[in-house]
Amino acid sequence: MSELIGWLLDPANWSGRDAIPVRLAEHVLLSGGALAIGLALALPLALYIGHTGRGAFVAINLANLGRAVPSYALLVILFGVFATSARDPLVFTNGPTLLAMVALAVPPIVTNAYTGLRDVDRDVVEAARGVGMGGWQVLRRVELPLAMPVIMAGLRIATVQVIATAALGAIIGGGGLGRYIIQGIARFDNPRLVAGALMIALLAIGADLLLGWLQRRLAVGSRAGEPGEPHGLPISLPTESRRA
Amino acid sequence: MRTSRMLALGASLLALIGACGMGGGATPTAQVNIRIGSAGFYESALMAEIYAQVLEARGYTVTRNLQIGPRDTTLPAIERGDFDLMPEYIGSLLEFVNQSAGEATADSAQTHDRLQARLDGRGLTVLGYTPAQDKNTLVVRGDTAAELSLSRASDLAAVQAELVWGLPAECETNPLCGGVLRDVYGIDYDQIRLIELDACGAEIATALNGGAVDIGQLCSTQPDIARFGFVVLEDDRNTQPAENIAPIVRDDFLAQVGGADALAAILDPVSQAMTTDELTALNVRVGIEQEEFATVARDWLTEKGILPEGP
Repeated sequence: MSELIGWLLDPANWSGRDAIPVRLAEHVLLSGGALAIGLALALPLALYIGHTGRGAFVAINLANLGRAVPSYALLVILFGVFATSARDPLVFTNGPTLLAMVALAVPPIVTNAYTGLRDVDRDVVEAARGVGMGGWQVLRRVELPLAMPVIMAGLRIATVQVIATAALGAIIGGGGLGRYIIQGIARFDNPRLVAGALMIALLAIGADLLLGWLQRRLAVGSRAGEPGEPHGLPISLPTESRRA
Repeated sequence: MRTSRMLALGASLLALIGACGMGGGATPTAQVNIRIGSAGFYESALMAEIYAQVLEARGYTVTRNLQIGPRDTTLPAIERGDFDLMPEYIGSLLEFVNQSAGEATADSAQTHDRLQARLDGRGLTVLGYTPAQDKNTLVVRGDTAAELSLSRASDLAAVQAELVWGLPAECETNPLCGGVLRDVYGIDYDQIRLIELDACGAEIATALNGGAVDIGQLCSTQPDIARFGFVVLEDDRNTQPAENIAPIVRDDFLAQVGGADALAAILDPVSQAMTTDELTALNVRVGIEQEEFATVARDWLTEKGILPEGP
């Protein structure tokens, strides 16, 4: 423990190529970038199939491929592709990691967004249509707000998984906090190894707490504190609808 | 002569011829079992298979346990008695058992003697070594070597900032890698553009060939060097320890067969026939063409005349 504190306080670990701020920033960029791309791909798809109810089977199973393929295998395959086509060393060591993390982020976002939308009380949707709202309006003003807790839960799952798994990128020479783990193993440097793992865990927990706060802020109206509000469950029970 | 006496004479003649037919070295009169192990990578398994086939031809019963894992698994295993013999690299093994005390040198004979001194207290004996060595080497692509006029490691200091370096994560703290680069070859390790990839692997070879890194650490008998036309930079300041291959054997096994000399008489000639070029060529067959160890070993042994041809 004291060795760990010693490592974290050592100024040598705060400067140069392997500086803590550098590796931390890399990890945040990799994870954040993967989640942003994942959201951009997953959310429109999920909103479409959730709102219309069409194409769900194909979409969900396609999305789950990202979960089924082992990230490490994907990483090694992509590395072979990148190493022969990408000349820039930062691209070829981090590109595969980014793509593998996108594949990991997509399934929980798609699954939860779809489920969240499908679980919205049909009576509310019908009522909305009944007062003259078009499809887009129903989605934006009724379905999305009601599905938001479940959608956010999916994003939280994706975030934690991506932050944790981004450490794998270090195996192919990529950056991020995983570098400390690889170096710790190779150099028999236990404090380095533990510090790396610890920082990844803290980052994941911190991100999860942040998103949890955001989730509560985005909850519809003043429903905060009402019994039955879902917290971080992948699938929520159907929520009580509020008659307009 | 009567039939029964002819038969008796014939039988004893056959027995005599049979007994003289074997070459030099101890032929166990009782059945001797030997268990042979090897490290995880294919070169080690190939050498083990070669030793195994030679011993089988000399009448030993061999149990193979190949591709076990890295040295921190195999060395405790042989010391425990899980198996009796395995091929090893004299420089790396010496530095492993002496905990990086720095005793290994570029002189093979000296390194070999120091290794035996270290193994004395551990119940192991190292037999004769191969001319072949498998050392960590720095390699560049052919076009890089031509463009920057690189042929020796000493040429690197002047152009270090122009290269993307692919070195293993442990190089930073390894005196034979980072230490040598800093202190002997004048490389500013903290300033070079560095990607950390394991030495001798497929990843570094791919990255180097694809142009993503410009200089990498490979093993000198690695088939990728010839396959991709890499140029090996000569270790002109002789920083790397000798890495000849030799079998290490448990002393209690040697006691069963009449001592180290008995086994050395069989295996030393085999080791001596293995040069670096030969080993590299065999690595192409097992490493790239994915041929069976048994086939490749047998082909080499018959080609060298150590084993007779035929089925």
